[in-house]
This record gives sequence, C-alpha cells and structure tokens, in this order.
Amino acid sequence: MLEARLPQGAVLKKIVDAIKEIVSDANFDCTDSGITLQAMDSSHVALVSLLLTSEAFDPYRCDRNLTLGINIKTLVQILKCSGNDDVITLRAEEPADTLALVFEPPSLERISEYEMKLMDIDNERLEIPDTAYHAEITMAASEFQRICRDMQTLSESVTIEATKEGVKFSAEGELGSGSVTLKQGGSIDSSAETTTIELVQPTTQTFSVKYLVNFSKSTSLAGQVRLAMTAPLPMLVEYKISDCGHLRFFLAPKIDDEE
Amino acid sequence: MTNNTVAMLGHAVKAHDRRPLVPIHVVINLNLLENNGSIKGANWIELPPGSYTLRTVKTSTAQIEVDIPYDHLVSHAPIGEWGRIAPLRILSFDIECAGRKGIFPEPNVDPVIQIASIVTVQGQSTPFIRNIMTLKGCSPIAGAHVMSFDQERDLLAKWQEFVARVDPDVIIGYNTANFDLPYLLDRASHLRCPSFPHLGRLPGVETRVKNTRFSSKAHGTRESKEVNMEGRIQLDMLQVMQRDYKLRSYTLNAVCAHFLGEQKEDVHHSIITELQEGSDETRRRLAVYCLKDAYLPQRLMDKLMCLYNYMEMARVTGVPFNYLLTRGQQIKVISQLYRKALDENLVIPAMRSGASDEAYEGATVIEPIKGYYDVPIATLDFASLYPSIMMAHNLCYTTLLKPQTISELKLKKGVDYEETPTGDCFVSSQHQKGILPTILEDLLSARKRAKNDLKRETDPFVKAVLDGRQLALKISANSVYGFTGATVGKLPCLQISSSVTAYGRVMIERTRKEVEEHFTKANGYPADAQVIYGDTDSVMVRFGVDNLEQAMALGHEAAEFATKRFIQPIRLEFEKVYFPYLLINKKRYAGLYWTRADKYDKMDTKGIETVRRDNCRLVQTLIDTCLRKILIDRDVVGAQNYAKQVISDLLQNKIDLSLLVISKALTKTEYDAKQAHVELAKRMKKRDAGSAPALGDRVAYVIIKAAKGAAAYEKSEDPIWVLENNLPIDTNYYLDNQLSKPLMRIFEPILGDKAGSLLNGEHTRSVSVSAPTVGGLMRFTVKRLKCLGCKALLSDDEKIVCKDCKGRVEEVYHRQLEVKNEMEMQYNRLWTQCQRCQGSLHQDVLCSSRDCPIFYMRKRAQKDVSEAAVTLARFDDCPGWRC
Repeated sequence: MLEARLPQGAVLKKIVDAIKEIVSDANFDCTDSGITLQAMDSSHVALVSLLLTSEAFDPYRCDRNLTLGINIKTLVQILKCSGNDDVITLRAEEPADTLALVFEPPSLERISEYEMKLMDIDNERLEIPDTAYHAEITMAASEFQRICRDMQTLSESVTIEATKEGVKFSAEGELGSGSVTLKQGGSIDSSAETTTIELVQPTTQTFSVKYLVNFSKSTSLAGQVRLAMTAPLPMLVEYKISDCGHLRFFLAPKIDDEE
Repeated sequence: MTNNTVAMLGHAVKAHDRRPLVPIHVVINLNLLENNGSIKGANWIELPPGSYTLRTVKTSTAQIEVDIPYDHLVSHAPIGEWGRIAPLRILSFDIECAGRKGIFPEPNVDPVIQIASIVTVQGQSTPFIRNIMTLKGCSPIAGAHVMSFDQERDLLAKWQEFVARVDPDVIIGYNTANFDLPYLLDRASHLRCPSFPHLGRLPGVETRVKNTRFSSKAHGTRESKEVNMEGRIQLDMLQVMQRDYKLRSYTLNAVCAHFLGEQKEDVHHSIITELQEGSDETRRRLAVYCLKDAYLPQRLMDKLMCLYNYMEMARVTGVPFNYLLTRGQQIKVISQLYRKALDENLVIPAMRSGASDEAYEGATVIEPIKGYYDVPIATLDFASLYPSIMMAHNLCYTTLLKPQTISELKLKKGVDYEETPTGDCFVSSQHQKGILPTILEDLLSARKRAKNDLKRETDPFVKAVLDGRQLALKISANSVYGFTGATVGKLPCLQISSSVTAYGRVMIERTRKEVEEHFTKANGYPADAQVIYGDTDSVMVRFGVDNLEQAMALGHEAAEFATKRFIQPIRLEFEKVYFPYLLINKKRYAGLYWTRADKYDKMDTKGIETVRRDNCRLVQTLIDTCLRKILIDRDVVGAQNYAKQVISDLLQNKIDLSLLVISKALTKTEYDAKQAHVELAKRMKKRDAGSAPALGDRVAYVIIKAAKGAAAYEKSEDPIWVLENNLPIDTNYYLDNQLSKPLMRIFEPILGDKAGSLLNGEHTRSVSVSAPTVGGLMRFTVKRLKCLGCKALLSDDEKIVCKDCKGRVEEVYHRQLEVKNEMEMQYNRLWTQCQRCQGSLHQDVLCSSRDCPIFYMRKRAQKDVSEAAVTLARFDDCPGWRC
C-alpha cells in the first residue's frame, strides 16, 4: 500500500494547478523512492515530468510499485476542498482503484476525507534523455512569467537568444514587435532576482509562447526557474520543489517549415 | 428538342417484316420531331413498307439509312409487345494510365497503358466480348482477348476501330464522363492520332470534350465534362450513383461493396506504374484488375436495373434518354406539359425565370407526443397526397381565376369555382378541367395499370420493365407539385403549390379531429384514440389496444371512415402498425414495422443517425444495434450494456479505425467558415497532390488529438496517415460530439434522467493513449520499459519484469508468446481474405482501399504483430531471463 503524508499540502495543489492546462489524464507512479509523473500534452509538443522524492513526505511508505491513473480535472476539484495550510495525506491500497485524500488543518480541529476513483490509463512511458545543455539560464520565476505574458500579446511564438552578455526574449507579430533583455547579474549576493547564464556556446531557439505561459503557472512553486537549451533539442524549463523534487517541462522548438 | 436532333437513340426501329425484334440501328434525322408529339424517348417506331427509301450513300456508320416523310412514321406506345426493350449493345470500359508518384495523371505526359472493354447485349446475362488492349506485352488471360501494342498511338487507334466495329448503342463505365473519355481524347490529340476522335456514328463529326456545369436544387452543383458521341448513349455509372443513391462513399469499390456485396482490390495509382514497368506477368496482373473494373459498371447497371428504370422514365415523361442524366427534374414535367398543351390546343407562355425568395408555408407536422410506446401504433397514410389534392380540387395553371374574372363573369363560389384555404380561386372541373389534373390522372391510372400488370407478369424482364415504369410514374406524379413551386423554374405558380400544401395541412388536422372524435369509449371502442404524431401525409394513432390484430382492424376501419369524408380521389390508407414505437421528435422516430399480425416486416427508422452520412459508422452500428435490442429483442438492459461496452472500447482504443471515419463531400473550394474536411483536403494536397480529394469527392477523415482548445478543423486527419503514424484518436470527441447526442435521444425516452449514466459510468474509467511516431517532441523521446507482468516502470537494469514479478517470468513469457501467435493468426486471416478478394493466393496484396474495413484491420494487425514481436524479443536479449 501507499501512504504519503505531505506536510505542505499546498505544494500538491500548486503542482496540479500548474499542469492541469497541459495534461488531462496522467499516471502517478509510486515507488519506494517517491512519486513521479510523466505525461505529454495531447498535441505531443510538450512533456511534463514531476518528481516528488520520499523526503517531501513525512512519513512516506510504499511497499510495492503502484501506478495511480488520475483524471487531473477531478483531482483539481477535490483539492479545492482543502485549505492552503492543510496537511494532505494520500493513501491507496492494492489493487489501486481508488485514492484516498485526507486534509487536516494545522489546528487539527477538522479532518476531511475524500476518495477519488482512479482510471486505468494505458500509455507509453516516454522520457527525454538527459543531455549536457549548451546554454543554461537561471532567473526569477516571476520575471519569466511576466516576460512570457508580455510576449504573448504580440505573437504566438517567442525567440530566446542566450549570449554571454545576457538573455533576450523577442517576439514579432502582426501588431508589432518587442523584446526583453536580461543582463547577466553581477552582484555578489546571489538573490532570487539575479539572472545567471552558463554558456557552452551561444544558442537561439524559437518556441510557442502559449506553452511557456502555461509552464510559468508553476511560478508559485519556486523562486527561480532554470531554462536549458541546446539547438535543435527541446528546451527544459525546471522549477525546483524545495529540496525534494522538481517539476520539469520539455518543449519542442518551433520548426520554420511548419505552418 | 426542336430541330436537327440527330440520332435519338433508344428509338430502336422495328423493320416491318415480321421477324420479331431484329436489332437494327438506325440514325433518324428528326428534322420535325414535333410531328404530333407522339414520338417519345425510348419507344418503338414503325416504318410501314413502301413508305421509305433506302439511302445508297450513307452519312453514318449505321447499318441502314432511310428517308421517310415524318407523317408516315408510326410510333408505338410502350404497351404489350412494344413494351420490350431493344437488345441494345452495351460497351463497358475502363482505362489505366501510368502516372508519376504524387501527381494525378496528366494526359500530355502520362501514357494510357491499358483499355479493357466488355460488350453485352441488353437482356443477356453474360458479355459476348471481353478484351484488353495493353501497351507492351501481357501474358494471356483466360476468357479474355489480350491485344498488346508497342506504340501507344496504335493502341488508341485500335480502340477507336474497335468501338466503330462493335458499334455500341450505350457506352458505360465508372467516371468515364469526367475522366476516361476526356483523358483518351486529350491523350490522342497530344499523340497526334487523328483517327481517334471519331467515336460517334457520324464519321464526319469529331468527338470533343466540353466543360459543363450542372446545377440543380435536388442534386447540387457539379462540374462535369461532356463528350459528344452521336448515336450513342453515355451512361456514367458514377453519375447515376451520385444522382440516385445517397452513399457514404462513391468509389467503385464502395459502391460495389454496397450493392453487389463484394469488394474489389483497390490499386493505388502510384503502384500502377510499377506494375507496368515490370514483366508480362505484372502487366497481366494489372490487366486482370482493369478488366474487372470494366465489368463492374455493367454488373452494377444490371443489378440496379438502371437501363430499365431510365428507359421507363424516358417513356413516361417523353424526354430523350440522355436528358435524364444531364438535366434536372423540371424538364420532365415541362415536356409532359407541352405535349398535353398541344393536345388541348393551348400555348404556354415563355416566362422569364428569375430567382425570388418568395416562400410559402410547407407541410404541417403535428406536434409529437414524444416517448416510448410499448403498444401498437397504427399509421394512416394519404395515398399520393399532393397529386390527389390537385386532382380533387382541379388545381392548374388553366383553372386559376383572378378576382376580376370572377366578378366579370358573376361566378358563384362553391358552384362555379372553389376557394382554397390560401384564398386562391380555381374554376370547377365541369367548366374547365385543368391540364395538370389530367396529366396526373393519366400518370396515376398508368401506374395502377402497371402495378396490376406487374402482379400478373411472370417474365422477369417484363417484370423489370413494369416495375421501372410504376416507379417512374410515381416519381413523375410527385414532381408536378414541386414544379409549380420551383421559383427559379420555367413556370412557377405559387398559387397552386401553396394551395396544395394548405389543403394538405387542413386534411391532416381534419383527419386527426375525425379520428379522435369518432374512436372513443363513448362510441363503443376499447379506448379513446389519440393521434400522437403526424407528418405531411400520415398520422400515427394510438387506439389504446395492446394487440396487433385489434390495432390493425381499427386502422382499417379508421382509414375507411376518414376516406369517406374527403373528396375523390383522395384516399386515406391503412398501411402499417408500429409496435413498439420510439418517438423521439419531429421527423425522428423508430419502430418495428408490421403489415401482418404474425411477423414483423422490418425495423423502420426515420431521421435517426443510422442513415445520416456525416456521422462515423460507429454511431450507425451502435444506434442500430441498440434499437434492434430495444425494439426487436425488447432488451433495454442489453442495449445499455452494449452501449457501455462500445464506449469503453472506444476509450481504450479498441475500436476499428474504419468505424471512426467520417466523410463529407467537398462541394466548393471556398467555404466561409473553416471546416474539417476542407482543411484536410488542403493539407493532403500539400502532401500528395495525386491522391488528394478533388471537388465533388467525399473526403474521409478521423478526428485526432491536438492541443487543448484546438478547433475541430485542425484535428481532422487522413485515416491512412493516422494508421501509419500511430496518431492518437480523440476519443473524447467521438464520445461527446458523435455518440452522446444520438444515444441520449434514444435512451432518454426510455430511461429518463438515468440515461446520463451511459456516458460517464464505471466503464469510462479505462483509457488508452497511444504515442504517435511523428510530432513535435516525439523525435527526442525514448520509451521507458514497463514490467510485462504488472505494468510498473522498470529500473535501468531490469529488462523484462520488475522485481515483484520475477517469479512469474515463465508465465509472462508464455502469455506474450500466445499474444503474438494470436496476432499472427489474425493477420494471416486478414491477409488471405484480401488475397481471395484480389482473386489470387500466390501474389502480394496491393490493395489500399480506403473504403474497405478489412484494409484498416489488416494495417492495424500488421502493426500489432510487429509490436508483439518487438516485445517478445526483449526475452531474447536476456539469456536465461535473468534480467
């Protein structure tokens, strides 16, 4: 059986909110080392990869590998019933046809229990192999979100250009064009606001901004976001979840000959 | 149809010696066709002895040419011996061209490589000539004459010679009008083959291609080509099909599957070139295919009685045969009108027809009392309602009165004239009988005669003629009303058409009232009758009895009772009982159809998805099966379970792709709104211009998964492309947009609010998502192996099963082996079925027919087998299954 108590229940809420626009049904794979989720959006342009290690939970128990098929919409609705400070406990028995969710506020005055019917999702498990990236940018997550939203007003796609001076986001559309350049932060005290760039070689790639806006809904999970690019491979957008996992997105670059 | 109409074919002429029906083909130079209007399309003409002179210098290729004064011609009405159809010679042909990859064959580049011809005499069951002309050598074919040529020009010249020699009266084929004939002519002119374009019976006239556009309200707009062939009738079976039958797909393959119950292999045009460039054997392969394609139109024509039906239509309406395909409905009515007017010494004004959007109220529909009726529902129909109304009330162009005329002549209402419910006035029949009522009387009495003769007749050929005739008469009688209401027509008269519908409405209402007032408990009947629905010319009555015999007896009584209350010749007939009856809405119902109390005739459905074409076949089979279970087996629970099972299969991707194909006709190039089939046609054109659908074709597509919020037109995809690339089907689209509404419609009247559980119960919780081989990210991903025992993810050093399933590895292996064997069996069965269809078990299957469910199954099975083989190979990589 699986029993996982998540002291910071809000983390689960934020994760689910961040991926609900991209994925409709997904398998949560539970092993003794933690919970993972890997899913593609229906147009096969973006991939979501979630890792919550067992350290995120207190306590965590998973006797044998379990796959929980979850309809994200239903999960969002059930999580709406929980408070922001609640401790969330997930529980599933073998065979996994339901998932029990228990919400407890810190005051422990109220215990709510929900049971959600699971799905049997038969899909292929697809992964993007790890690579060494040519350009890795770390920047404030809120800044990234703002840039994406600004660029979306102009165009469907955004071009990201990483050089050793800085990173430039630009968009060109029917109405006009715009760009935002962030300089490589030189300050000694590296706060969340600083932008750092690790460069093997200058890289430029173009992406669908709609997906980036969806990815940036994860801003509340982490202060910083990491963008990693190697042309012509997919870009990695990563949000760290404290020290106990990450939410990663992969996005295929736009190819010129596509409509 | 006035002057110099050369060669009215179908006027096969009987020579005046008494040898019965010798086929003699004559060109009649009808300078004065309108002699007395008695020469009609497809009837016999007699030349009395001594009245004609034989020509010595002939102007045509006909066997005999004569000159005769027109008034000596004797035309025989098609009665008795004269009703037979001449033993016409019918040539059915098909050509093959060697196209290039991705380009539709073009006559100035791509050669004609084979022409197959089949010649049959009308009335005989087997053809007397089968031959094929091929470019380059070809191995012999049993039962066919193979002629091979090295030069394409010789091939074309020889075929022209063949046509002249065999001198067919009718030339048929599939899509010959728009493809085969124009292609041959264009190719011949490109190759400078001057003898070729003389395919008619007048050697001096060159055969040319003309572009025409045919537009009719009933048949839509079609662009087509016209090829003149003097003295020969062309019957393109594709055009016949598109005109007379509503089908999902009009490819020869689909049409044959539908009517002849057999499939043919469909060789994609890119393979044809490969076969041509192979050996004598591969060309023979192609020749067999080509011969089959040439024979199928003939068989279709025989099966569907096209020639009989068209000939009878020509005889009934008096128009020449070829008008029936190339012209619309109106010509048939107006031709009868002209003939009648000539008899009556009347002239018809030439009216300038202008489009007007003046509309009048149509037929009435009694508001249905929706529900599921588990008691017999009797149906009362008015026999030929609109023609009867026109006859009963003497409605005609010639009887219409202006108010001014009424006051001038001091006519009395109800005696001298009658006012219709719309306020129009028509003079009564004792003063002036209208032309239209006379025409209708003639048509209907002729139909009655034909039907009586049909009952007595035993000869199958005469039977076919008579059946075709009664059908033609019925259609003709019914089209008169439409003619008067066609505002863009030759002679619209809305006073007539709106009066007709108004009378119809009044009569339906009156029938309802009479029946409901008379059949009551108070009058000694078992229960109060209730009219639950009525449409145009029928009413459905619930007499409140629960057995069929009683309902039928009451139905008969009610029909007689109501008929007495209407003017002659209006008749209400009791025809059938529906039991049980599912009334969904206006023009939507289903029921089990009984005409006798001991056995039901059929399941009858109206306006339900089983017949609509813009749905996928899954909807059709699902709804049909559910209705069958409900109406015939009376098993509502079984129907629910079946529906759930289908939905569950759909979500798990177990439904055959061919069932999910939706087809829509591409009727114009520019639509205001983007539509799925139009957008797909554009995309397919980019991929392969040759196989992309053209204007007028039906586009087949399936809906695939795409980004959230994508419009349906972005999600349409070619089924074959989907199959090849393993694209995931948007199962939710099919559930929400295709299945849910029709399912709810039939289950809601029965189950009420509980019907919703069909769409989101336990059975919807198992889904399957396939990963495509193309698409943005797919190139960069790797598949992570899953445990073959429990589907859990495997770590990097595990290859077959997870640590929990390690003990079961032998069992898992056996299961995989069984799966693979089963898939191989399945694939082999499909493969041999396709081989049987192509008629040879020793050769590769080439067919890629988009209309054949077996094709999709075979493709899928092929994929399944290779996937199963890959899975099984995982065991081979690990000696001793230790990993």
